[in-house]
Amino acid sequence: MATKHTFDAIVVGGGPAGTAAALTMARSGLKTILIERGNFVGAKNFFGGVMYTHAIADLLPDFWERTPPFERPLTEQGYWMLAPDSVVRMTHKSEHYKHEPADAYTVLRAQFDPWLAEQASKAGALVVTRTAVLRVLQDSKGKVIGVRTDRPDGDVYAPIVIIAEGVNNLLTQRLGLIKNDLPPRFVALAVKEYISLPAKDIQARFGLTGANEGAAIDIFGDATMGLPGTAFLYTDKAGISIGVGMLLDEFIQHKLRPYEVLARFKNHPVIQPYLEGGKPFEYGAHLIPETGYDRMPKLAADGVMVAGDAAGMVDALHREGTNLAMTAGRMAGLTAIKAHQAGDFSATFLNQYRQDLENSFVLKDMKQYRRMTDFLDTTPHFMGTYANFLNDVALRYFTAHGIPKRDMERQIVGMLQERRSFFGVAQDMVKLLRAMRG
Amino acid sequence: MKLKKKKGQSHEPLSPELRATLPKVNINDLVVSIKYYVDEDFAHIQIRDHSVCTRCATKPCLDFCPVQVFTADAQGKIMVGYQACVECGSCRIGCPLKNVDWQLPRGGHGVAYKFG
Ligand SMILES: Cc1cc2nc3c(=O)[nH]c(=O)nc-3n(C[C@H](O)[C@H](O)[C@H](O)COP(=O)(O)OP(=O)(O)OC[C@H]3O[C@@H](n4cnc5c(N)ncnc54)[C@H](O)[C@@H]3O)c2cc1C
Ligand code: SF4
Ligand code: SF4
Repeated sequence: MATKHTFDAIVVGGGPAGTAAALTMARSGLKTILIERGNFVGAKNFFGGVMYTHAIADLLPDFWERTPPFERPLTEQGYWMLAPDSVVRMTHKSEHYKHEPADAYTVLRAQFDPWLAEQASKAGALVVTRTAVLRVLQDSKGKVIGVRTDRPDGDVYAPIVIIAEGVNNLLTQRLGLIKNDLPPRFVALAVKEYISLPAKDIQARFGLTGANEGAAIDIFGDATMGLPGTAFLYTDKAGISIGVGMLLDEFIQHKLRPYEVLARFKNHPVIQPYLEGGKPFEYGAHLIPETGYDRMPKLAADGVMVAGDAAGMVDALHREGTNLAMTAGRMAGLTAIKAHQAGDFSATFLNQYRQDLENSFVLKDMKQYRRMTDFLDTTPHFMGTYANFLNDVALRYFTAHGIPKRDMERQIVGMLQERRSFFGVAQDMVKLLRAMRG
Repeated sequence: MKLKKKKGQSHEPLSPELRATLPKVNINDLVVSIKYYVDEDFAHIQIRDHSVCTRCATKPCLDFCPVQVFTADAQGKIMVGYQACVECGSCRIGCPLKNVDWQLPRGGHGVAYKFG
């Protein structure tokens, strides 16, 4: 007879959400299994990307001694507003960013995620890779009791299952925690290339003194052909991560090919010099859920909790996702520990997890920016119009020799009115402020 | 006739001049950089019903798939080269007729990023 595999807790998915959950539970003595479908933990995971140490420190106070595979600390961050042949740069560089460990680092996920999984494994979690969860098992009353994997003899049981399956949340949908897929205007598709370049070239081009400095630039306007979306240029140790992301709906409506938009961005006269001589090492693509606070799935039901991208926990405005995922995974893990102590795995008990998230930055930030996706959705001209405007203003401002300054100012106001009616502009501004204030 | 503008549908078409600035890209040059553990025995991306595709006016999957898994053959039939799929999920969400049967590859198969 086949043996029944029983654990105290099952985690589906080895991204930051799932690994944080598994680590938290295993450390407290729960018999925990983490199931990941990739060839190794991290094989499927792909992002910009920047990681924030506050979330890692909450999970692992001594993370620095465990030598995480960071690329570069961020010492300069900001925005570039790109027009077809020019750029306005707004970045912030400060000595205040220089402390160890720094607040944020660039990382490569196929290297960082395995490190984090190793910490979970050291804490006692059983990490099983190359295994896909096909469905979640429920008893006759609908309570979650385990998962079915694609291994022979692959059913695994536990009183609590944490689903951290990422943006393609098929299990979450099948459980009915969210009705169906997000529509294409609430997910962004991003493509990226990791381009290898000697450290000394990166440092010279970005004005960095050494490996102890790094830059993360988010780029708007012509980078996405004026459509709602962002592009990015991040420095790694010996490479550059360059990518573009737009709402999937934009690709569909305009029949655009993501790799052509990326190639166009790479050819831009302002961008091209940064990449010169680099060797393309890897291309990839991933979705970003722009679910927003109001469209999130139910986070807990009997015997189950959902964390990270699977629940749409992303703050797209500040390119944050891994820190929300890691914090949510940790909080789900803590709730699971309490549920074991109380012997209560009901939805009512597990809803404490939602409460904890509401009291943390995770849901506070998501609540504040709840209107942001709607703003971009209803104001698609925003980025293009204003990026071009800023560049034209800058050009006029810096080349207005021999023109009375008052006339120059009038010209600048006129330039904006030509593009959009004054009321249109005022409306955009009000909408933007409202979306930011929440 | 007055067209009512629906929320989220305010897409003004791209100007032909802007579209002309898009460079042609040979997708194979990008796909060769990606490591895969191809499952030759299981196609995780499939067209549910090819006759539905013939009714699909815009066929957006041909363009938005980031690795061009979808191509049209000489007769216009949609072909699925699932081996190059990076499992992003766009076709599941983006096919307007929900005609893509989207599954995960079997455990251990599919894309395996080296850098991510
Ligand atoms: C281009 C891009 C740039 C980004 N930039 C940033 C950034 O700069 N900073 C930042 O903080 N965030 C960024 N994000 C967001 C961030 O990557 C995500 O929010 C984060 O990875 C979510 O973590 P997660 O653990 O919820 O999901 P994931 O990291 O997606 O992990 C999910 C895991 O579950 C596994 N899995 C799924 N289904 C199953 C199954 N059925 N069985 C077994 N295993 C399964 C997957 O293989 C995967 O390993 C970016 C995202 C993208 C796409
Ligand atoms: S978008 Fe969907 S229905 Fe249209 S051609 Fe592609 S797979 Fe077929
Ligand atoms: S999941 Fe993404 S990469 Fe795979 S076929 Fe669909 S769109 Fe293409």
